[in-house]
Amino acid sequence: MSEQPASDPPPPLLYSMREEWKDVQPLDQSDLTNPLVPIFYPPEYKDAMDYFRGIVAKGEKSQRVLELTEHIIRMNPAHYTVWQYRYDTLLELEAPLDKELALMDELALTNMKFYQVWHHRKLLLLKYAQPAAELSFISKVLAVDSKNYHTWAYRQWLLAHFDQEDLWSLELPSVELLLQEDVRNNSAWHHRFFVVFDSGVREGDEDREQVLRREINFTKQKIAIAPNNLSAWNYLRGILDRVEVKYATLKDFVVPYTTPREERPVVEEEVLDLDNPRPSSSASLPCALAIEFLADICLEEGDTTKAAELFTSLAEEHDTMRKRYWDYRVKECLGTQSTRT
Amino acid sequence: MIPFRVIPQHDGPDGCPTATSFIQEKTEKELKEAYDSVPKPLILQRMRHFQWLKVLLFQGLPARYKSQDASQPWLMFWIINSFQLMGVQLDVATKQRAIDTLMQCQSPDGGFGGGPKQAPGLLPTYAAVSTLACVGHPGPGGGWDQIDRQKMYAWFMSLKQPDGSFLVSRNAEIDVRAIYSLLVTATLLDMMTPELVAGTASFIASTQTYEGGFASTSAPYYISVDTLMDEPRPALGEAHGGYAGCAIASWVLLKPFMTEEESKKLNVDKFLRWLVWMQGEQADYGGFRGRSNKLVDNCYSWWCGESLAIVESILDLQEETGHEDEFIEDEGDDEWVDTDWWLYNNKALQEYILGLGQDNAGGLRDKPSKRADVYHTFYSLAGFSTAQHRVYQSKSLQGSLRNKWKPSEAFTPSTAKGEDDRRQATRKELWINARSWKEDESSHRYVGSPNNRVNAIHPVFTLLISQASNIMDHFYGQTSPPKS
Repeated sequence: MSEQPASDPPPPLLYSMREEWKDVQPLDQSDLTNPLVPIFYPPEYKDAMDYFRGIVAKGEKSQRVLELTEHIIRMNPAHYTVWQYRYDTLLELEAPLDKELALMDELALTNMKFYQVWHHRKLLLLKYAQPAAELSFISKVLAVDSKNYHTWAYRQWLLAHFDQEDLWSLELPSVELLLQEDVRNNSAWHHRFFVVFDSGVREGDEDREQVLRREINFTKQKIAIAPNNLSAWNYLRGILDRVEVKYATLKDFVVPYTTPREERPVVEEEVLDLDNPRPSSSASLPCALAIEFLADICLEEGDTTKAAELFTSLAEEHDTMRKRYWDYRVKECLGTQSTRT
Repeated sequence: MIPFRVIPQHDGPDGCPTATSFIQEKTEKELKEAYDSVPKPLILQRMRHFQWLKVLLFQGLPARYKSQDASQPWLMFWIINSFQLMGVQLDVATKQRAIDTLMQCQSPDGGFGGGPKQAPGLLPTYAAVSTLACVGHPGPGGGWDQIDRQKMYAWFMSLKQPDGSFLVSRNAEIDVRAIYSLLVTATLLDMMTPELVAGTASFIASTQTYEGGFASTSAPYYISVDTLMDEPRPALGEAHGGYAGCAIASWVLLKPFMTEEESKKLNVDKFLRWLVWMQGEQADYGGFRGRSNKLVDNCYSWWCGESLAIVESILDLQEETGHEDEFIEDEGDDEWVDTDWWLYNNKALQEYILGLGQDNAGGLRDKPSKRADVYHTFYSLAGFSTAQHRVYQSKSLQGSLRNKWKPSEAFTPSTAKGEDDRRQATRKELWINARSWKEDESSHRYVGSPNNRVNAIHPVFTLLISQASNIMDHFYGQTSPPKS
């Protein structure tokens, strides 16, 4: 992953030169003389792997196996066989899992893009069952990389698996903070959906009508700040689809985003309409995502001509990269699309 | 990495700068500088990629690839399939070395490991079996008949979860990569059974998020220790191109097993919309991103391109077009003739791959600031192929395959004895379903010169169509008698 800092201690003595490993017969990975795609392993890595294979052949599960597997994992955190054997050894030895978790804290921060680091953590939590401290650890990782996929998936697993109200209760404020920092953080938007709509009903969220209003208003405000934001529009569509509310209920909100700025005389009362915040003064208009949304409203209302017109404006002018798709939507409006299965 | 609280000064889209727009703008600048300096017309640097891959295949990989030590079948898969796409033939001796190297990874417990003496995993099993489809053959030493399917099947079942998902290996994570790997392997080798895939379609549907794309996995909720609830089953992680590609290909493979009710659980229209929004803007040169508001990356040329090819086929847009070949000699827009087939901008995608995705030293890359690696090389070339060729599931081919089918001896797992009749009926449908993808030979679209052509790829199997066919015909007992 990264260069070794100069202050690192020298690599440990090879296992083949250590008295306390004399009883293990090191094993080569292969007896093929001519394999394809050989990797030029650094000597330290090859030596450790040879002894690991020797240990597996013996079936030994001991303290020194924990040292050996940690050594290999630090060199190659993607080695799932080594992780598997380490986990078996931890269980066999009934090793203290809090100590293992502390090690994972360190490894997750330096190797956050590896599946195994997060999965091992999950295995520990399943045994250890103390999720309370996890959320603050997760925040630490997200402060380094606010979109790390594994971290988010782990956070959501933790919430779903333990399903404790005190864990859930801090999630919405945490998402709001992240979206305040970066309204384009799609991971945070997804987490909001996960918390509010996808995992049952939270304490205080029992009035679903009120929750829907809250979420729609929240999203409108975020769209007003930065209209050309796929994440926010996807969230808006997502919640309307989920609760089966028509897009047309948002027509008044959407229209001002679909026209160029100069065509839009600013009327004072409109600016004060809190239910329908207008685009910020620096927004780039018209917004393709809003035109698409309005076209879908027209389809709901049965106005296929107007919908086709809007899709055509996307194809020809406002979103030419997706011309093929908008043309397809136009054909769909006009009923000339071939039959669907 | 940019700590997200420190956002350097920039105007930002909509006058609203954030960490996301900062790296986006930085990337746009990088892409523009790189694209402007690339000679036009754009050329696929075939020889450079070939030379670069050849050194890795025969001489080996530098020490930094030790992180791939548990992905050895993948290294072979990526390199050998890149050769296949570029039309490079391997000689018999090299194929034998490939077979021997791969067979060393077969585990005594069933399945293949990430290297010799490693634990079996679904991902390396997929990579090994797919590579054997390219280089292997029936008979002694050919690999195909040395795959232990009984052990593999029992091991598959040991990874199966109550919600229809699979662990990628013992005690490991659950995700749709595992499902895709298992389904491709089981389909190619005639190992699909109703018990193996019970619940799997519903699981895949549960990973579709509100955005329309697919997440890595979903979380089951239980009423009691052994009773699963239908709801909620929240997706874990946001919609993501890589998982989307695995999910939609798996969905297609499961078709013959799906009930009417199951087949309605996936929203294809919503998926299509999400996919087309993954294509970057003009400033991104039409490359694909993997998630909303993330940066474009060449590997999504495949994951999103493959998904689009499958969706186009599901939506049944494909009849033979009958157009002439289109070679686009220059970059001029007037010479590009659009067809009704591609639902995204396949011209821009080819330009991204050729103009920004190639490393001068050989190999393909995520974007200009990244170095080439074998993963990006293969998936960029594969995405390039889907942007050039129209490969679709053909109704007429299904008809002729149906007539051609001859009853043959089926692999029967020792645990599923007594289901022979049902197996016979479904394996015929599976074979037809998987074998009926074909290239529309009359609708190629090439940016640059016709010399930029790569071979057509099967969007479901990630193999050349003929390779998927050959191995399936062998395992389903559908080969023609050898010609004398």
